[in-house]
Amino acid sequence: MEAAPNIEAVVQFGDGDSIREIPAARLAIWLFLASEIMVFGGLMSCFMLLRIAHGGWDAEAAHVHWRIGAFNTLVLLTSSLTMALACTSAKERKRGTARRLRTYLGFTIVLGLTFLGVKACEYSLEFAKGFTPGAGLFWAFYYTLTGLHSLHVLAGIILNTTLWIAAARADLVPVVQRRIEYAGLYWHFVDVVWIFLFPLVYLT
Amino acid sequence: MANSMQEKSTPIAGAALDLRIWEWLVGLLFIGLLVFVTPIPKVAAIGLVFAAAVVKAVLVVRKYMHLAAEHWLLYVLALTPVVLIAGMAIALLPDIAFRP
Amino acid sequence: MSQAAIQRNVLPVEHHEELSFVGKYVFSTDHKTIAKQYLGISLFMAIVGGFTAYAIRWQLAWPSSAIPGVGTITPDAYNTLVTMHGTIMVFFVAMPFLLGVFGNFCIPLMIGASDMAFPRLNMLSVWTLLLGALILLASFFVPGGAAAAGWTGYAPLSARPDLTPAVLGQDMWIVALALEFSSFLMGGVNFITTALNMRAPGMGFWRVPLLVWYEVTASVLFLLSVGPLIGGAVMLLLDRLVGAGFFLPAKGGDPLLWEHLFWFFGHPEVYVVALPGFGIMLEILPVFSRKPIFAYRALVYCALTTTGLSLIVWAHHMFISGMDPRLATPFTVTTILISVPFAVIVFAMIATLWGGSIKFDTPMLFALGGLTSFLLGGVTGIFLGSAATDIYLHGTYFVVAHFHYTLFPVTFFAGFAGLYYWYPKMFGRLMNETWGKVHFWLTMAAFQGVFMPLFLSGIAGTPRRVFAPNEYSLFKAIQPLQVHATIAAVILLLAQLPFVVNFFWSLKRGTQAKDNPWHANTLEWSVSSPPPHDNFERTPRVRRWPYEYSAPGASLDWSPQAERGDAMPATGRH
Repeated sequence: MEAAPNIEAVVQFGDGDSIREIPAARLAIWLFLASEIMVFGGLMSCFMLLRIAHGGWDAEAAHVHWRIGAFNTLVLLTSSLTMALACTSAKERKRGTARRLRTYLGFTIVLGLTFLGVKACEYSLEFAKGFTPGAGLFWAFYYTLTGLHSLHVLAGIILNTTLWIAAARADLVPVVQRRIEYAGLYWHFVDVVWIFLFPLVYLT
Repeated sequence: MANSMQEKSTPIAGAALDLRIWEWLVGLLFIGLLVFVTPIPKVAAIGLVFAAAVVKAVLVVRKYMHLAAEHWLLYVLALTPVVLIAGMAIALLPDIAFRP
Repeated sequence: MSQAAIQRNVLPVEHHEELSFVGKYVFSTDHKTIAKQYLGISLFMAIVGGFTAYAIRWQLAWPSSAIPGVGTITPDAYNTLVTMHGTIMVFFVAMPFLLGVFGNFCIPLMIGASDMAFPRLNMLSVWTLLLGALILLASFFVPGGAAAAGWTGYAPLSARPDLTPAVLGQDMWIVALALEFSSFLMGGVNFITTALNMRAPGMGFWRVPLLVWYEVTASVLFLLSVGPLIGGAVMLLLDRLVGAGFFLPAKGGDPLLWEHLFWFFGHPEVYVVALPGFGIMLEILPVFSRKPIFAYRALVYCALTTTGLSLIVWAHHMFISGMDPRLATPFTVTTILISVPFAVIVFAMIATLWGGSIKFDTPMLFALGGLTSFLLGGVTGIFLGSAATDIYLHGTYFVVAHFHYTLFPVTFFAGFAGLYYWYPKMFGRLMNETWGKVHFWLTMAAFQGVFMPLFLSGIAGTPRRVFAPNEYSLFKAIQPLQVHATIAAVILLLAQLPFVVNFFWSLKRGTQAKDNPWHANTLEWSVSSPPPHDNFERTPRVRRWPYEYSAPGASLDWSPQAERGDAMPATGRH
């Protein structure tokens, strides 16, 4: 199989075209994130629009567990911190970089799993009270929005775990150091979505 | 890319900056929660909570995702969908939100 | 800049291990092979889509008679045919053909790159599309049959499982579309990144061929517009599976929300298809007029303008849907506005031809046929874009004729033009020119014969998506129009046989093609036919724009993009 192109290479052609110097993978991730903004933004807009149409859904919204949601927000924000620390340490060229990277990445994964675990408990609490996706439009939106977000968290955890496993091998550490930036962009994006989702669903 | 971001007053290096941003994020979270539990008019509460959310998002995007140091094209790429969604939501207000 | 100073952003391959058949043709990451895989998918799906068209047209001409090869069909089956015809043709023919084939094949070659930025992602995208296509085809055979709520899938017909027989089929439709969307999102990211990041030295933005510009803007447009519909598709699926109620009035939902979400994407989607079609025509017209393209920069700005405007015109599909009437005027204004960049494109094409030394080879014939047919389709769009006239014409055959007069030219006329043009580069042989001309003239004539009568039928008020319009005394008198259209449709479908035979026969027996049979300037014609695995032995150094034809003082009427001024061979090659 032919060698994969070096997607992180920056080519200098000197004919004044600064766009060409954006590393390909970084550009690609931002393109992907742009499309994701449209997905989540579209869903959130629909939620807001129908919520206004139905007078606010205050009665239904009173049943969401905002304290649990707030805790989860703290968890996710902290996971963004550990992810950022992992990316920062990835750029270092000191001794113990790989170990630090793995530690921070490990924390990110654990926090991500915590988020999902808490969410699952929250869902089961709500199911027990009869608040299922078919129990009315508010809950349908609640599960769609938080469910889609949780799927994205899960994908991020899988991605991070792949990098975490790879970083255990000394020969793969340079690859991980390069690629963790992209995992970081994705993870921070998932955090940003929650930054808006939490107030929208829990605090309005 | 940019290892050390320059804050307006004190230059802070990589990991310390990450931590400082996190402190701000958590602080804004608590401000939002405070606003939520305080008995103030609902519209004001929603406005403040969302303002806090926007600041948090901007911090994450600029400082954790390093958009502050990126080529302008990526700025445009990140901003365009936001503008489009806002436009779509506004266009749909008369039809979906304010139906008699 | 010396070659040594140029750093290729692809690791040079020292040697090739010989790939197995599976590695080379099935699990290939080579953009040229992937393009051919897209070609296989789109042409096969075109046969399926064409078959649904045949059944629809027969039913309309001779209602409730037995369709040869099918039998009599029920009204529900008719709805399924209409739904699947639209879905297949838009999502599994037009998009793979125009974006998957020509985007994949031409972009890396035209910008001087050795492959796409992400070859493995490219392979994933074509396999995802194939999976979606298989699921859609499988839905024909499940109990209840394939989806029957129109390619537009309006709620509540699509949102309640009890309203059409296609219970599982409609769910599979949603899944198939979701896969198709993912496929083209991945492809789009690849196209955009490649075109921005991997251009050869000297290829600044104003030296990029128009096809690349148009493919990239189409990809950007798709990327930006499909998001809300993906959300909507999730919502629709939940409506069907758990009764969520997003689009069900009984549960407080709003069917109009689906229409908005669908058309917010649906309208940009038609430009996602139209732009690459135009890009192909814009490459072919200069080559076969031996003249530079007229107003190159304006054409680039038109692509960008169209992209922007197309995101704010969607509600012209909803003028009589019951939406807030105050939205009608702004959307009429934006819709009329969007005809301006298209008019500029058409004028630029005509101006390119003007005074040129026209060569009526098959690619040129198809490009010209596409241009003239699209012109007619485009102007009829003005009547539909204006709310006042649309109130009468919405939901009639006028709409059907309009969108076939626009979509068919950009998909099939432009697509065939591109295929006849780039076939030598793809397969190393030329298609037979005589049979190509036969294919063109039959297709062109038959196409007019199918859809021109439908304009008249629509003006007379005949509603679309109706199983047997002749049951209404109002339309009995114009039933001969439907018969006429059907006879022409059968000819149109049969007219594709010379193409199919020509395509396969030429693979083995066509004249061997040299590097540059058309004497064109763009970079793909500077390498062998077909190109080597890595496209270019050395990264080309681009020295001029792509449309240097018949330059005054030049020894030949063409100047390849990467050659020095006087290094042209004395004799052209064929």
